[in-house]
Amino acid sequence: MNYSSEVRQRFLAPARAGTIPSDAGDVVDGVAEDRSLKIWVRFQLQVYGTTIERVRYQLYGCPHSLAAADLLACELEGKSVNALSNIDLERLAGQIDLPREKLGRLLRIEDALAICYAQVVAEERE
Amino acid sequence: MNNAPIYLDYAATSPVDPVVAEEMSACLMEGGPFANAASTHAAGRAAKRVIDEARDRIGALINASGDRLVFTSGATEANNLALQGVLRRDDGPGHMITTRIEHRSVLDTAAALEAADVAVTYLECDACGIVAPEQVAEALRPETRLVSMMQVNNEIGSVQAIESVAAICRDAGVPLHVDAAQGAGKVPLDVTGLKLDLCSLTAHKINGPKGIGALYVRSGLEIEPMIRGGEAALGARAGTLPTHQIAGFGKACEVAAQRNESEELARLREQLWQGLAGITGVRRQGDPARSAPHILSVSFPGVEGESLRFALADIAVSAGSACTSSDPMPSHVLRSLGLSDALAESTLRFGVGRFTTEAEISTAVERIGVEVGRLRSVGAGAPDWCSS
Repeated sequence: MNYSSEVRQRFLAPARAGTIPSDAGDVVDGVAEDRSLKIWVRFQLQVYGTTIERVRYQLYGCPHSLAAADLLACELEGKSVNALSNIDLERLAGQIDLPREKLGRLLRIEDALAICYAQVVAEERE
Repeated sequence: MNNAPIYLDYAATSPVDPVVAEEMSACLMEGGPFANAASTHAAGRAAKRVIDEARDRIGALINASGDRLVFTSGATEANNLALQGVLRRDDGPGHMITTRIEHRSVLDTAAALEAADVAVTYLECDACGIVAPEQVAEALRPETRLVSMMQVNNEIGSVQAIESVAAICRDAGVPLHVDAAQGAGKVPLDVTGLKLDLCSLTAHKINGPKGIGALYVRSGLEIEPMIRGGEAALGARAGTLPTHQIAGFGKACEVAAQRNESEELARLREQLWQGLAGITGVRRQGDPARSAPHILSVSFPGVEGESLRFALADIAVSAGSACTSSDPMPSHVLRSLGLSDALAESTLRFGVGRFTTEAEISTAVERIGVEVGRLRSVGAGAPDWCSS
């Protein structure tokens, strides 16, 4: 399989892979997986007010999945939490030259972030 | 600095030995034995002598008469010819026995024969990739016309009990075909002593050229040809014989017999395994005591297969078999061992060979350790199905 330079770079040196320390405050957590698609992903977002301050992820998956998670993590830092409900998967797929048959993996990544967003919304209501 | 990948995929293919290349080159041009070996003039007879000498060398490797070799384009064609040559004769559809872990050239041919109303029994292997010979005896029927079994499994290196299976087939009067593509030159095989009926061979796994193999056909066994067109070798395969390819094949067999590299290959393989065994959780597939000396299959739990292969792009290895590594489906062999899809896809096949060095193995071990550790770190916290 051929990989774009974006995928290569992020796969070999992922910028946001990891975790946010457990004693850090204001962290929401979202996990999604699909065994048939060979992906498991966990996002952690540190949110201050309505701003996403820090994003980290852990991922078991293919190079495209890792690149997508890393790309999103970098893009979301500093953005409003509303960005979590507005993930443009088509643009993301284009950025990493995603083979069409792997689109389902992006959906799982989106699911994990949607769970994070739901937690943010729930906490705002409290 | 050499930036070429470290080559640890000798089970897929091997580089041609320089002495083999020299033998081949001498056959190509004017002044050498380039003529058609079927021609009756002096030039043709010179080419025929080269081929006859190669036959003797190839036959010597497996203790078989070189006169009984049908040259093919490789073991894939030889396997096709063995199965189709026996089952497509005008004796009615019949039944054949093979195993679930055969090379795709056998399995796909068997499937095609099934579509033509040949009954096929596929024997299961155990968790180490060994097929119990008793299964062959139990599967035999009055209408069984062929048993086909590989000597060495190409994905995990398991060595089958060919001697026992041969005895069972002899007693039952059923022809036995052995696919020796992976084992010839590395695991002893006495075709005459075992009274084998058919045996597939290939040159490119033993530092010979690609594109040439052979099917040994026991004297007295007639098979239906697949390729027709004038005079055919043993009546089984038409076409001008490629003198240079056959010469290379013969020389490769001679060198393999002379060098007798099994012990050295096993030593290198174990050096590789001892290094990889230091990585937490790795699993060796197959039984080392019943394994070909050059193949090592290792699973790396907790690392997604495609990511593992991409991370190790500087090391030439196979995921499963070379023939199936572009196939997104998990290897049929690893599935037959009982591996989960995740584990099968995170399994790599290493093949050491004549030109493998200890330094290459050390470098590979270090690189693999680093990348497995890195990818596991990225996926830390992943559920059990990612590791089992």
